[in-house]
Amino acid sequence: MSDGSVAQWPTRETSSPATPEDLRLFAGVRAHDRNAFEALYRLYHPRLSRFLLNLLHRPQLVEEVLNDTLFVVWDRSETFRGASKLSTWIFAIAYRKAMKALRRLDEPIEDHDADLRPGEDDGPDAPMNNRRAHDALLAALGRLSPDHRAVVDLTYFHEMAYREIAEIMDCPVDTVKTRMFHARRHLRRMMDGELADWL
Amino acid sequence: MGRILPFTIDPHRETRDLMPWLISGRLEPDERARVEAHLASCDECSRELAAERELAGAVAELPIATGISWAAMRDRLDQAAKQEAIVPAPPVRQRFPLRQIGIFLTAQAALLAAVVSITLRSAAPVAPYHALGAAPAAAVAGNAIVIFRPDISESEMRRLLKDSDARLVDGPTAANAYVLHVPDAERTQTLEHLRKEAAIVLAEPLDAASLR
Repeated sequence: MSDGSVAQWPTRETSSPATPEDLRLFAGVRAHDRNAFEALYRLYHPRLSRFLLNLLHRPQLVEEVLNDTLFVVWDRSETFRGASKLSTWIFAIAYRKAMKALRRLDEPIEDHDADLRPGEDDGPDAPMNNRRAHDALLAALGRLSPDHRAVVDLTYFHEMAYREIAEIMDCPVDTVKTRMFHARRHLRRMMDGELADWL
Repeated sequence: MGRILPFTIDPHRETRDLMPWLISGRLEPDERARVEAHLASCDECSRELAAERELAGAVAELPIATGISWAAMRDRLDQAAKQEAIVPAPPVRQRFPLRQIGIFLTAQAALLAAVVSITLRSAAPVAPYHALGAAPAAAVAGNAIVIFRPDISESEMRRLLKDSDARLVDGPTAANAYVLHVPDAERTQTLEHLRKEAAIVLAEPLDAASLR
């Protein structure tokens, strides 16, 4: 791949791009300007890939679902009515496509966490206790349902309000709060001790 | 069904439920004020908040990422463009660059003509020499592009155009955008004003350079 397979780790800064920038690029997408679309693609890729990898736990599916999502943004831009934020609309498409892909899969639940764990080539400098805590947290997340994982990541990484999450997942706001509550309780029970070591 | 709503919100439970969004700073001001007031007087919830912050930080720092795959998307766009060239898309989905707006007469353009006609008939004459059919609409260069909400009524669209002293130059495009001409000197303010309207999805300046 000419544009590299180097993982671009999203950060909190890239997790919430300035709204005017993505709307400006989207105006170009509506006029079918391919350069504007590429810029929008690159702006959203880090956040969407993180969201989808956490949700799907299958790296081989992430690219397919991510590209399907952003192709809809390109091909069906007229269906964005402006009733929500552009990011909410895009994440809602990604969520629907990811859930559809999960339903299509008919394979037994296995050790997906291996796909997500930082690999052996993380470098000698990666502190052991950090890696252990990462592994433990990823394993704990892996035991949650995809819906619970999505709520946790959308809240704590993507910093979305519960109303936006409800819109993305097409569910009542109380369901988002309840999922978050159960997920938190589960994660903290699973992580008992690990977080204290890490911090 | 049959759920009985309490008259007052249990502050303990509300704090417990909203804690994650207090941490991420995504609560409404009134919710935040209630939660913070409760935290100030509840040691149990304060301890809970400290533990929750650790979890939030740990989740946010998880290294989860994949590589950018623009090349695959670029190939897909090329393939879609080729297919569109071979099999013409239905008129409603047909796409064309902005510079070609006005060349294609579609059913949408007929609708636009009706809207323009109604608008011009009901508006006070802009200039004494301006008459229906006196000059083609394309003679006026568009300097703004707007997208109205799909459910906008004709009267609301007319009001927005009149209030902005704007004229419809072309549209709707395949993306349901309209090209307008607004007074050059007031374009920035006019577009700002339009963006605040609930019936406007997008309002952006349009210059010759952007039409390439």
